[in-house]
Amino acid sequence: MRFTLNIWRQQGPNEQGRFVTYEARDVSPGMSFLEMLDSVNQGLIASGEEPVAFEQDCREGICGSCSLVINGIPHGPDRGITTCQLYMRRFSDRAVITIEPWRARAFPIIKDLVVDRRALDRIMQAGGYVSVNTGGAVDGNVLLIGKDRAETAMDAASCIGCGACVAACKNASAMLFVAAKVSHLALLPQGKPERTRRVSVMLEAMDQEGFGSCGNQSECEAVCPKNISVRFIAMLNREYLRAGVVESGLPAEPESPHAEST
Amino acid sequence: MISLDPKIPPGPLETKWDRRRFSEKLVSPNNKRKITVIVVGAGLAGASAASTLGQLGYHVECFCFHDSPRRAHSIAAQGGINAAKNYQDDGDSVGRLFYDTIKGGDFRSREANVYRLAQVSTQIIDQCVALGIPFAREYGGQLANRSFGGVQVSRTFYCRGQTGQQLLLGAYSALCWQNERGQVTMHPRTELLDLVVVDGQARGIVARDLVTGRVSVHTAHAVVLATGGYSNVYYLSTNASGSNVTATYRAWKQGAAFANPCFTQIHPTAIPPGDAHQAKLTLMSESLRNDGRLWVPTMPMDHRCPGDIPAAERDYFLERRYPRFGNLAPRDIASRAVKAVCDEGRGVGPGGHGVYLDFGDVIDRQGFEVVRERYGNLFDMYQRITGEDAYHAPMRIYPAPHYTMGGLWVDYNLMSTIPGLFVIGEANFADHGANRLGASSLMQGLADGYFILPYTIGHYLATANLPVVGEDHQESRAAIQRVTTRVSRLLNVRGSRSAASFHRNVGELLWNHCGMSRNEEGLKAALTKIPVLREAFWREVMVPGSGETFNQELEYAGRVADYLEFAELLCHDALHRAESCGAHFREEHQTDDGEPQRNDVRFAHVAAWEYREGLSPLVHKEPLTFEFVQPTTRNYQ
Amino acid sequence: MTRLSNHVRSSVGGKVVMALSGLGLVFYVVIHMLGNLQIFEGAPTLNGYAAFLRDMPILLWIVRAGLLSLVVLHIVLAIRLTVRNRRARPVAYAARKYRQASFASRTMAVSGLLLALFILFHLLHLTAGVIDPLAIDRLDVEGHRDVYGKIVRAFQNPFIVVLYVVGQVGLGLHLNHAVTSSLQTLGLEYAAFNHLFKAAGPTVALLVVLGNIVIVLAVFLGIVHG
Repeated sequence: MRFTLNIWRQQGPNEQGRFVTYEARDVSPGMSFLEMLDSVNQGLIASGEEPVAFEQDCREGICGSCSLVINGIPHGPDRGITTCQLYMRRFSDRAVITIEPWRARAFPIIKDLVVDRRALDRIMQAGGYVSVNTGGAVDGNVLLIGKDRAETAMDAASCIGCGACVAACKNASAMLFVAAKVSHLALLPQGKPERTRRVSVMLEAMDQEGFGSCGNQSECEAVCPKNISVRFIAMLNREYLRAGVVESGLPAEPESPHAEST
Repeated sequence: MISLDPKIPPGPLETKWDRRRFSEKLVSPNNKRKITVIVVGAGLAGASAASTLGQLGYHVECFCFHDSPRRAHSIAAQGGINAAKNYQDDGDSVGRLFYDTIKGGDFRSREANVYRLAQVSTQIIDQCVALGIPFAREYGGQLANRSFGGVQVSRTFYCRGQTGQQLLLGAYSALCWQNERGQVTMHPRTELLDLVVVDGQARGIVARDLVTGRVSVHTAHAVVLATGGYSNVYYLSTNASGSNVTATYRAWKQGAAFANPCFTQIHPTAIPPGDAHQAKLTLMSESLRNDGRLWVPTMPMDHRCPGDIPAAERDYFLERRYPRFGNLAPRDIASRAVKAVCDEGRGVGPGGHGVYLDFGDVIDRQGFEVVRERYGNLFDMYQRITGEDAYHAPMRIYPAPHYTMGGLWVDYNLMSTIPGLFVIGEANFADHGANRLGASSLMQGLADGYFILPYTIGHYLATANLPVVGEDHQESRAAIQRVTTRVSRLLNVRGSRSAASFHRNVGELLWNHCGMSRNEEGLKAALTKIPVLREAFWREVMVPGSGETFNQELEYAGRVADYLEFAELLCHDALHRAESCGAHFREEHQTDDGEPQRNDVRFAHVAAWEYREGLSPLVHKEPLTFEFVQPTTRNYQ
Repeated sequence: MTRLSNHVRSSVGGKVVMALSGLGLVFYVVIHMLGNLQIFEGAPTLNGYAAFLRDMPILLWIVRAGLLSLVVLHIVLAIRLTVRNRRARPVAYAARKYRQASFASRTMAVSGLLLALFILFHLLHLTAGVIDPLAIDRLDVEGHRDVYGKIVRAFQNPFIVVLYVVGQVGLGLHLNHAVTSSLQTLGLEYAAFNHLFKAAGPTVALLVVLGNIVIVLAVFLGIVHG
């Protein structure tokens, strides 16, 4: 098989980017999309050109590194997979394929198809955790958690943080990402004590990073490699409304909830 | 001269760890604030260690080459994590987990370390539950368990097929908390390229910022390596493409002993390699062997469709050879059995590299839906990759390099032979001996990170004399010089071959001569070929672009250069160990029916290798003494 | 209170206020349609209903002021969120494919703008009577304002009918996404009812549009006449 690739090339964050056309020849249908790009890159390296930079690592759909918009859809034409799980047999021979990076203000381009997704980490750092010290935890079976609830929490927790939801969203919103984390912890008893603060600070962080707002179009759900449902966004909204009500009744905030007591 | 004192506390096995913790010196809270610890790697071991150290009050600088600590390869572990909770009341105990692990490792690990691992395993589950990890539950709300390769109790905790992911995200969330508190500073997209050793103590690292290309020194009071294993030296493995040996290899060159590098685990159930462009092998969870049956045609070169081969002409070789464990035989045994039948010409699929993993019986017995519920995602994955439907025809599987039991030598306190350099997780060698049991790597990574290192490092920090070392220290400058010289050397070869082509060459060489089975002749051949390949690399490699920008090819070429040196160490160790034990199978040392022959008289030791500039590496031996268990022949028949 | 206002100012808070104001307006639109459907009962009923409303001037003006503030709030927030959302993706995709976002959801700004213009026109047309000299209130035989007659006269004009039908399509498009979206924004999610929440938007949109267009067409086609 052979393909014509229109690939976004951009030297650095502040450089002008443009599409460059490459031919991918001798592609076998059993090759993965990334292996196809590897072979294009091998050709570029052999001729002393800089290969196309793109992110990948585990190549089995779990690390969340790969991040290509293929013909206008994050992670390409198939549902429920990451780019690395896409195989060339999915495309027809001699197809023209446009490859772009995730595009969002919160995800500045580092080079070519590689973007900086640290904004997602900063949202997590704001409150995406249960603050529990190592050691001294009670026996795991002390907290009884019904199977259904545990499964629903796991549905949310399976987010791989790839950012496809942001890439697909018309508003470049990270709501599905935030929703997955907030719902995962709000569904479990371990997450209850901090649920009010968590949802408030995580959404505040999301706004500060320059993500857009949710338009409830569900494109995020449609491209999510882990099929995370937009129902978790509703759950996030509910948590947020609840937090608004609860917090307005709280006494003035101490300087920092995590300040060391001295 | 390297000294290998394992510093194992004397006395009864059950109380060694308690006594060690009591006798350790502590660092006072006021002093912790003034102490900086560098943690390199943010997978299960690294993230759990960094977060716990941060919580204890140390200042932690944590480095990872990914864009986020959440992407470390721990995330890909599918099956589960072992713990001696005995929730199923099926006879499990700390003692049994200890014994299974020692035996599974073919009596090539330290008793004291393994016992401690089994002891803290129960705390790990509690800690992970507290962090909000959504483990599978029973209808009554209790934690669910499953059984996993090589053991006869159900002690594996799991989150669907994504246990590693959930455990890593739990450790990552703990890390996020410490980031928010200002206790841990993250350095993502930063790669360790050398170690700074001052007066024999590890005092810092040289790291390259992968975005700007800036090479800089970071100094600290101690350095922790949690940089994973080196299966990628084989080119095709189940590891993520970024996983590499550079950090541990660079530490080795600065004086840390490298122990048992030849103990590399080949996992039996991966999807067989396809065409030449293939960049990785995809693992199918070992849990498939709970219900799937492995077989090949009885006749060699039988090219009929699997459905056309009658039961009488199928050889269920694991069930035949190991009737007691059958398809659940440990990984090393199963992998070798697969290789054996393929070598007899009975392999199936392209190139005869594969055996059938058949679910026909369980589908007949329990129905289609049960199988779909249990393994649906794995069957989907198989279909996506191979284009074949495993519900109607058996899967094909073939072994793939997966995990490395070898690693930097560490004592009971997880400290390497360089004082102040601690090594945790897959990067060290200690707990799995010559073979690791399924669902034990997650256990070990978290045990080291959450519960062991944070104690033992305190003792070192409280007792060592650590004068101030800055970026302009002579050793810091020397280390930077080493790195920048090497980077510019890589960039200036300007040959015509890609780093990947050399990586593939060295991988094939190792797979053929130092893979699932090894022999003296092959290893010696590899030892002559590797230096030739290495010279070709430094003559012909092409690394486009510059060192001052984001340059993935430069990162990769540096790692390949290290593989080309490390491969030699691997072969030296495999040659040295003239016995078959665990994952290391020397063809000269087998019984008449092809079972491995261990040699406890000559090789009941850890082989720890010392780097010598310009000379071949020197082996030191740490004898393994078994006070509490009696090494037996590992019999799964 | 500062925290509550923080919540309102956030993107989700903005969405919640938009949802609430929007649902208030939807409620009004439904009542408005139901009231107007009384045209099929004949002139006395409709004019009587109008007189009944006019008899409570304070309430009437409170409702009008409320509606106006809801509309203003809704539009101001819409503009603010849209500006923010446009800024969130400074460089557009060269190729862009939607997988499941409905046409209605992708055109909310356009349908909203269309709707605002239509409402303005509708107010000028039938409430203020400045567009069409025929569309002003006269008195009926009972001395009530003759709303019935005004409507019958107004919708004789094919251009007006076309404008109203187009306006209703805009309304339908907007409501189609808006109602379901608002429920989602307000966090209404429950496995057993999710299909109801999903169906709410299209159902409300269809009923309102049908109800309103039926009136216009009934007059134009002479089914309802003076």
